[in-house]
Amino acid sequence: MCPTTINRVEVLRPLFAAATHEASAAMCRWTDGVISLTLDDICELPLDQVTAELGFSDDLLTMVVLGIESEPGTVLILTFDDDNARQLAATLTRRERRTDPEWDELEMSALTETGNILGCAYVNALTRLTGQILIPSPPYFLRDYFASVLEQALVEQAMSSDTALICRTGFHREGENLNWHVLFVPSRSLREKLERNVASSSHQRTRK
Amino acid sequence: MAISASTSSSTVKTIHVGMGQTAVGDKDTVFTSVLGSCVGVILWHPRLAMGAMAHVVLPASHGQNGQPGKFADTAIPQLIHQLADIGCPRAGLVAKIAGGACMFKGGGPLQIGDDNIAVVRTILHQHGIPLAADDLGGTSGRKVTFECATGRLTVEIAGQRSRVL
Repeated sequence: MCPTTINRVEVLRPLFAAATHEASAAMCRWTDGVISLTLDDICELPLDQVTAELGFSDDLLTMVVLGIESEPGTVLILTFDDDNARQLAATLTRRERRTDPEWDELEMSALTETGNILGCAYVNALTRLTGQILIPSPPYFLRDYFASVLEQALVEQAMSSDTALICRTGFHREGENLNWHVLFVPSRSLREKLERNVASSSHQRTRK
Repeated sequence: MAISASTSSSTVKTIHVGMGQTAVGDKDTVFTSVLGSCVGVILWHPRLAMGAMAHVVLPASHGQNGQPGKFADTAIPQLIHQLADIGCPRAGLVAKIAGGACMFKGGGPLQIGDDNIAVVRTILHQHGIPLAADDLGGTSGRKVTFECATGRLTVEIAGQRSRVL
């Protein structure tokens, strides 16, 4: 990454950290204080190296995906490893953890609702902090190869660049890292709006 | 061009072809990729057991610079060129293609799988390269493995039996 790119990415870090903080508070409430989130990384990566760099490669994962209706091309992906996802679904539905390879409706509903609560908190925070009206789409549950889902999420950025901006958030359960992540992939247009907004806020603070 | 390669045995070289990348190889080469709305395009010469693969992300470059493997209209000429560089002529090449799904059951943003498929088919036709096999569309991702030695294209979809084309 060139220095200019590093600066552009770093400028957005406080914004995504604040959004992650609000999403973490929502997740804590939803899980009775068990699960929290922290911003892991915000990075700009070459398209051809994105999945390898993120460390998922061709893994088969459980995911909940939300788009942003007012910003086509912006996607939020919540990824879970199977074991912990099923444990979370069991906890939320107050049932025994299931071992059937097929997920049932109740399990999928629990995970989808988790994605909805977390995604809405994250997006609402970005809206509040930047004034950009961001409306999340209904969440969508799927089990698939992570790389195949991510490449769909990156299509809009790929139209104008050979790099992609990705914001990654990690999960913790009672202080222990979980193999779950939220990946926020802004469209080129949203990224520019967020950068302008951060620059404008910074300028206003300097003038005061 | 894919530069990362791992060796799974003393003779077989496995190359993972990432988004927008192209790769070329001989009988000792295996290509792998994971595809969603992207289309994996493989050109293969059965007699010479040489092949090349592109991981096509978008249908048309519209004159944009960038990795030639990223766009269908630039990826296929690039594969032909890379094969020629290792002594593999265009005559005798066949194509195998996979991918082009409408991820998120078609409800997500910027569904481009169908456009990718259509342009890949058109460009192959323009270059006179026959399509020997395909596994396209649907709403799920695919993990693909291609062996240059045999021309076997193995397609895996989550929750389904793998297919060999």
